[in-house]
Amino acid sequence: MTLSEAAMLRMQDISKIYRTDLIETHALRELSLEVRAGEFVAVSGPSGSGKTTFLNIAGLLETFDTGTYELDGRDVSRLSDDARSRIRNEKIGFIFQGFNLIPDLDIFDNVDVPLRYRRMKAPERRKRIESSLELVGLAARMKHLPSQLSGGQQQRVAIARAIAGDPALILADEPTGNLDSLMARQIMDLLEKINAMGTTVVLVTHDPELARRAERNIHIVDGVVLDPASQSHLPQPAPQVSGAAD
Amino acid sequence: MSLNIRPLLSALKRNPTGALLVALQVAITLAVLVNAAWIVHQRIEKIEQPAGINTRDTFVLVVSGSSNKFDIAAAESEDLSYLRGLAGVAAATVTNGIPLTGNGGDTGLYLHPGERGRLVEAADMSFDQQGLKTLGVSLLAGRNFRPDEIEPYTPGKQAPAAEVIVTQALARTLFPQGSALGKTVYGGTPKTIIGIVSNFMGPQLGTPPYDTVIYPTLPGQYGGYYLLVRTQPGKRDAVLHEAKHHIGAAHRYGVVQYTQTLASAKRQMHSANRNVAILLVIVTALMVAVCCLGIFGLTTFNVGSRTRQIGTHRALGARQRDVVTHFLVEGALVLAGGALLGSILALLIGNWLTAHYALPRLNLAYLLAGILALTGVGELAAWQPARRAALIPPSVATRTV
Amino acid sequence: MLGYYIRLALKSFRRTPGLTALMVGAIAFGIAACIVTLTVHHAMGRNPIWWKNNVLYAVTMDSWTPEHPYDPADPEHSPTMLTYRDATYLYGSDIPKRKALLAFVQGVLAGAPGQTAPLWAMTRATDSGFFHMFDVPFEYGGPWSAAADRGPKPVIVLSRRTNERLFGGRNSVGRTILWNNLRFRIVGVLNHWDPKPRYYDLSGGGTGNFGRPAPAFVPFKWGPMLHLFPNGHVSCWQAPGAKPIETYRQMLGSNCVWITMWVELPTAAQRERFLNFMNAYWAEQRTMGRFQRPRDNRLWKVSQWLKLHHIVSNDSRLLLRVAFAFLAVCLINTIGILLAKFLRGAPLAGVRRALGATRRQIFAQHLIEVTVLAVTGSCLGLALGAAGLAGVRALYAHSYSAYGALAHFDLIGIAWALALAAASTLIAGLYPAWRIGRVSPARYLKSQ
Repeated sequence: MTLSEAAMLRMQDISKIYRTDLIETHALRELSLEVRAGEFVAVSGPSGSGKTTFLNIAGLLETFDTGTYELDGRDVSRLSDDARSRIRNEKIGFIFQGFNLIPDLDIFDNVDVPLRYRRMKAPERRKRIESSLELVGLAARMKHLPSQLSGGQQQRVAIARAIAGDPALILADEPTGNLDSLMARQIMDLLEKINAMGTTVVLVTHDPELARRAERNIHIVDGVVLDPASQSHLPQPAPQVSGAAD
Repeated sequence: MSLNIRPLLSALKRNPTGALLVALQVAITLAVLVNAAWIVHQRIEKIEQPAGINTRDTFVLVVSGSSNKFDIAAAESEDLSYLRGLAGVAAATVTNGIPLTGNGGDTGLYLHPGERGRLVEAADMSFDQQGLKTLGVSLLAGRNFRPDEIEPYTPGKQAPAAEVIVTQALARTLFPQGSALGKTVYGGTPKTIIGIVSNFMGPQLGTPPYDTVIYPTLPGQYGGYYLLVRTQPGKRDAVLHEAKHHIGAAHRYGVVQYTQTLASAKRQMHSANRNVAILLVIVTALMVAVCCLGIFGLTTFNVGSRTRQIGTHRALGARQRDVVTHFLVEGALVLAGGALLGSILALLIGNWLTAHYALPRLNLAYLLAGILALTGVGELAAWQPARRAALIPPSVATRTV
Repeated sequence: MLGYYIRLALKSFRRTPGLTALMVGAIAFGIAACIVTLTVHHAMGRNPIWWKNNVLYAVTMDSWTPEHPYDPADPEHSPTMLTYRDATYLYGSDIPKRKALLAFVQGVLAGAPGQTAPLWAMTRATDSGFFHMFDVPFEYGGPWSAAADRGPKPVIVLSRRTNERLFGGRNSVGRTILWNNLRFRIVGVLNHWDPKPRYYDLSGGGTGNFGRPAPAFVPFKWGPMLHLFPNGHVSCWQAPGAKPIETYRQMLGSNCVWITMWVELPTAAQRERFLNFMNAYWAEQRTMGRFQRPRDNRLWKVSQWLKLHHIVSNDSRLLLRVAFAFLAVCLINTIGILLAKFLRGAPLAGVRRALGATRRQIFAQHLIEVTVLAVTGSCLGLALGAAGLAGVRALYAHSYSAYGALAHFDLIGIAWALALAAASTLIAGLYPAWRIGRVSPARYLKSQ
């Protein structure tokens, strides 16, 4: 491996084309970027810029056409579906805009889901679930159903679910999009707290206010990155530079 | 009200597997329904074939010797004179089998002397001059046996029958052209046809049911005989009870083997057909029910997964009636597809049954009636969820998740 | 993981109780219909003595008239019974390890203590070999000796039922009873023995091919000895100009067929020798003017014997097919509902995929859900099937039909139910579970 030890996520010349019968959409055009371990990075850009595609590829939810992707020092560009599931399960925690909790499972069981797929022993699962719910302040609500919680609480459950497996990378997709500003702030505080504990956080958002709270900002427009900082290792720097919040 | 088929088809296209599966259910159900109805119809026709005899007031008493000391001829005449003198008895005779049961003999008759030429198989019965009256069979041509023609049973000697009576059906089988009366047939000895009687089902079920020849002899060859008794209306059970009791005790070396009413013989004869018909009706009805539940389920699913879309339509001005119609037409399209496939399947199965089960060719009226009935109940099944769809308020269109 | 999946399945059922009930009901009814028809169908075609299928053989020869075949509707087949002349000759062979002739004669039983009226009992006339060849179980005593066959000696074997009616079920071996007004000594009482179909005698006599065995058994030779005309199925033909059959002796010498014959031939060599023996007899008789039809000397295994007699009825086949069509409709119905339900749950499957579930795990989760459904449906189907069989028995209560006689729940029915449940699960569940397993993890994560 030729990577610097510190790179958590490293994408090089990633292209993704969506094809239908009539049109081809270039969602990502030779996108390259790097996120170092322990960083808190915000990815922003207008809608349709390729943010979501980037997130899906970063989270190994989708494959891409060309380029290479290294995650935590391992090339994950051409892995089988099973191997990618395993990496999602062990290395990545997802937080979605719509929370995506499973409605007929209670809070405990929702946080349990990724641990189940890791075939962990019951006492170990219980320990992890309890401690991550403790962290998000919902230990008392373990037996409640998602529908019995407020939106902010539901998102905190989702965060607990994301960190229960002790992932190296958290991918958050507009985590505050469905929340009011007070709750949004709580969520951001939590993400920062998690980041402070050593977990890399990549936050996808179109909200500049939130983006400003990240250590570093990456802008994606039309499927390419506009931030030179993320391309420091590349031979040709991008022509345009936008203000980085470092 | 305008109907737009194209958007409907595109809606079906979004859940093609679901629609296809329901259409498949409709197809199989239609094919089975139509053919089962056709089979049931045939069975009912068989059940309704007239027996041609009085089954209501008639019963049979089977007498059997318990030793070869049993004097059958004496016992027969003793029993007959007892029965004919018994109050409530309309007529009685002694015979060699039980009509409608398969319990009896059959004869091969030839048209030419020396048992040459065409062989006609017929059930045979032998009884005396009261036999026709006992069975309730009417004489169509010629005459009945005279008492002096009746040959009593002689042990070790089968009486040659010089005169016979045949049913109308057998007369036609033997002599398709011209009258059978007075003609001679051969089987052992020459036999002259002296009478032709109305059709009735004899003791043999395998041969054509109405082909029976009657001999003027009294049986006993196999160590026993059958007493055939017809009572006055309503007296059957009482007479049967009394006669069984009396005859059971009358003979030193003979016993009453069993008794059977012709009503029960008839019931048993039809039981296979009746029961198959009942089982077919039950299974087919369940099948139609499951099929309807399938249509109900599909419509419910379509309504449920299109709540917002329906709300939007309502917001854009669709009336409740339009929504109901939409889903009913959608159901009708699936039903029509299923009916088309089902018709082909029904005809194929029909042909197969005709080839392998000797079933008459499927009547197309049954197919048509099946299609109408199934689409009718199918639409009924779609109606309830369609109405529920109509009750979706337009406001869901503006509501977020 | 299994426990987890089952828990998820139960939650899923709780979410849609109506649809779940519909699917369970459809599977249950479909399976019940199949169990009922399969049980009867299977029992009808069952070989009750399969373990001796390669040992026991029914013997037939075509002794029929050259004018026309035995059964004009089925000209391929020779008579299934033998004439007295042929049967007694073939019986004289010592090639078979055991042998038996079978016929029915009339019988009246009397003289048991306390018996008031004589009991009419259609009697099986056969040989001691019968009991050995068909593994007939005895409650008391046993078969009569070979010497009693030859005598014949006045010995009788009673069925268990007859012994219950005459002796209250007590050991009656050694007692004397009147059979057709002659004194016979009881040598054996059968234990419960009621093979269905009554494979050893498919001539339709007595209570029919699915009826109970005869109430009493005596040595075969008592029929000819007492001039007792056969009481079962008799078929005759007469040569042109022949005198009609008038006496019992004439009947014995006639072309009437009425005897079923079985031989036990354990080895291929014995079978070949016996066939040669039959062929030699046939050739010799042919020179004397008999056997004018093509040679058709045959030995039938029990399984072939059952097939020859068309024991499995067309109605049974018809009902079986309809039942399977019904099950097919039920399963298609279930597939449709499952597919709709699973696909509606696709977003949740997407979430699970994002959280690290493999395709196989999603597939397994949904297949387990279907399995729980199918197992529940099958258990219910089993109960419904038992009720259905009782219904069929009631429907056929007053007829000699096989359909009623065989409608009894047995291990085979249960085995079928399990097999059908497994097949149903696979058929109904594989495709929907596979479809949901292929759901792309990214597709449903974005909220609309």
